Amino acid sequence: MPARETIYARIVDLIGPLNKKAVPLAEDTSFSNDLEMDSLTVMDLVANIEDEWDIVLPLNMLPELETIGQVADAVAKLTK
Amino acid sequence: MPHLSNEPGLSIAPGAAGTVVPTPTLDPLPRRIADFATLGDALGYAAQGTRGLNFFDARASLVRAYPFAELRTDARTDAARLIAAGARPGDRVALIAETSAEFVRLFFGAIYAGALPTPLPLPTSFGGRDAYVEQIRTQLLSCDPLLVLSPPGLFALVAEAAAPLDGCTAHDWAAFHALPADDIELPSATADDIAYLQYSSGSTRFPHGVAVTHRALLANLAGHATCTRVRASDRVVSWLPFYHDMGLVGCLLSPLANQMSADYIATEDFARRPLSWLTLVSRNEGTTLSYSPTFGYDICARRISTSIDVSERFDLSRWRVAGNGADMIRPEVMQHFVDVFDAAGFRADAFLPSYGLAEATLAVSMMPVGEGIVTDLVDERVLSGEGYAGVSADSAIGRPTRYRAIVNCGRALPGLTIEIRDEAGLPLADRHIGRLFVAGEGVMAGYFRDEAATAACLSDGWLDTGDMGYLADGYVYIVGRAKDMIIINGKNHWPQDIEWAIEQLPGFKAGDIAAFAITTPGGEEAPAVLVQCRTSDLVERTHLREAIRTKVRAITGMSCVVELVPPRTLPRTSSGKLSRSKARSQYLSGEIQPFEIAA
Repeated sequence: MPARETIYARIVDLIGPLNKKAVPLAEDTSFSNDLEMDSLTVMDLVANIEDEWDIVLPLNMLPELETIGQVADAVAKLTK
Repeated sequence: MPHLSNEPGLSIAPGAAGTVVPTPTLDPLPRRIADFATLGDALGYAAQGTRGLNFFDARASLVRAYPFAELRTDARTDAARLIAAGARPGDRVALIAETSAEFVRLFFGAIYAGALPTPLPLPTSFGGRDAYVEQIRTQLLSCDPLLVLSPPGLFALVAEAAAPLDGCTAHDWAAFHALPADDIELPSATADDIAYLQYSSGSTRFPHGVAVTHRALLANLAGHATCTRVRASDRVVSWLPFYHDMGLVGCLLSPLANQMSADYIATEDFARRPLSWLTLVSRNEGTTLSYSPTFGYDICARRISTSIDVSERFDLSRWRVAGNGADMIRPEVMQHFVDVFDAAGFRADAFLPSYGLAEATLAVSMMPVGEGIVTDLVDERVLSGEGYAGVSADSAIGRPTRYRAIVNCGRALPGLTIEIRDEAGLPLADRHIGRLFVAGEGVMAGYFRDEAATAACLSDGWLDTGDMGYLADGYVYIVGRAKDMIIINGKNHWPQDIEWAIEQLPGFKAGDIAAFAITTPGGEEAPAVLVQCRTSDLVERTHLREAIRTKVRAITGMSCVVELVPPRTLPRTSSGKLSRSKARSQYLSGEIQPFEIAA
C-alpha cells in the first residue's frame, strides 16, 4: 500500500507530458479549469494511472474528481 | 477470470469460474434483412438463432456473452416490470446508456412495453459533476419520462437530476431487475408507432428528442445491410456509445435487426485503450463491420509507437467495412491510418464513408462497398459562399488558390431521395453547392413535443438537414454543417450552448456573441467565440476574457478560443439575425480584428 504522498508525486509525474502549457501543478490544480484537458487526454491519463497501480477508476467516479489532490485520494483509497 | 487468449481465432482459456464463450458469427438461421413491422418483431426473429451481443472489458477480455434469445427473455420480463411500475404505451423510459447488457435489456423492455426508450449520456471526463447533473436534468425535462433508470454507480447523480421533476421516478437498475415480474400479456406495437427517442445530436441546453417510428427505423436498418452487402461471415465490432445514433442504431439495432453477432467495448475503455478495438477486429475469424468517426482512427494510429510490431500484434486483413462518419471525414487522417496499419493487412478500400443524422434515423448516404475514400478538390472561395464545386478557371486577383479535399459520402440509401436546393428552395443542378434535403423512409416523425422545431425542418415529407453539400452523378459530397454545429472528437457541440453560457455573465446579451468552429494548424476543429466588448481598459479586457473562458468551460466543458471584438462588428443576416458563418469567415480573413489584450 503506497503512501498518499508517493501517489501524489507519481501522478504529478504522469501529468507532466500531458501538461502542454506547463501549468504549475498543486493539490488543488483543476484538470478542466487549470490544465484545460479535453476528455481524450484525461482518459489517456486515467489509463496510465490504472496501469501504474493496477487499479480501475470507475467511470462514475470521474465527475467527482476535479483536482489532482482528489485523484490522489481516490487512488490511495483504491490501492488500500 | 475467464479470458480470450490472444491467439488468432476464438479459442477460450478455461477459467476457474467456467468459461464465457462469445456468440457465434455463423448461424443457420436464414437471414432476414430487417423486414419486420416492429423492432420487437426483429428481436423475436433474431432470438430464434444463436447469435447475440458480447461485452468486453478494457483489455478486450470477454466479460459477458448475451445471445439474442436471452436478451428477448430478459426484455420481456423487464417489460412486465415497467408496466407494473406504471409504464403505458407512449410513455418515455429514460435510460443511462451504459455499454452493457443491463442497458440493452431495458431498452428492449421499454420496446416490448410499448414505451419509448430514451438513451441519455454518460459522464466523459474528470470533474464536471454539476454540469452532468444539469445535462441529464435538461434532457429529462425535455422527454418528460415516467421512469429514469441508471447503473448503480451513477444512481446518486441521476436521482439528483430527476428530483425536481414531477412524476418521474429514478431507479437503480440493479434493484429494478430484482423486482418481481408477473407473467402478463404485452401490448403490441404497429409499424407507425414511435419506437424511441434520440438526443444524440441535439444541443445540451436546448435539447430536441428525435422521434423515430418502427417503420422508419427498420427501413434504415435494411439500408445498412443492403449498402454493406451483408454476408454470412459478418460480425460487428464497436466502441461507440449507445447514446449516439451511430452507436445505437448503427452498431446495436442494425446487427440485431439483421441478425449479426456484435462485440463491444465501452467508450470509456476505448478512450483509455483504443488499441483494444483493433484487437477485437483482429480476433474475429470472420469478416468485420466496424464504424468510427475520424478521431477514433486518429488516436489508434497515434498510439502506435516504433516499439509495437503492428504486423505481429494485429491482423486487420478481414476488416471488410471500416465505416467513416459522424463527423467531417479527414482524408489525411485516414491516409495515416492506412500507412500505419498496412503492415497488419488493413486495406484502404475497406473505408466506407457515409453521411447521416439522427433526424434521418442514422444513414442518408453510404459509399458503395470497395470504393474507399474518394475526394474532390474544391476552391475554398467556392466553399465559403454557395457556388459551383469544381476547379475554378480564374484565380483572378493573383492570390494563390486554396483547395479543400471534399469527401465523397456515397449514394442515397434505398428508399431515400436527396435534393440540393438553393436559398429559394429550388433544386440545384449537379456540382452546385446548396442545402441538403432528404425525403423517404427513415426520416424522423418529428421532434418530441416541439412542433415549432419540427415545422422548421420538416415539410411535405422533406427534411431540411441544415447541411451544405452538392451532388455529382448521384454521389453526395458534404461541405459543411449549416446549422453551425461544432464537432470535436466526434462529439457535437452547439454554438447556442457556448453563447448561452456567456450570456449568463453580467453585461452580455444575445447578439453580442458569435460562436463557431475553426480549424487549428494541426487540422483539428476547435471552438472559437467572438464577443463584442465596450471596455477600452486593457487589464479589464484580460479579466473579461478570463471570466468568459472559465464560464464556457464550466458550462460546456470545452476550452474555447475567446476573442473580444469592438461593438457592432458582428455581421447580421438580411433578417437581422446573427450570422455565425459570416462572422467566422470575416474573422478568418482578418476583416474582423479582435482587440488586443494585455499579456
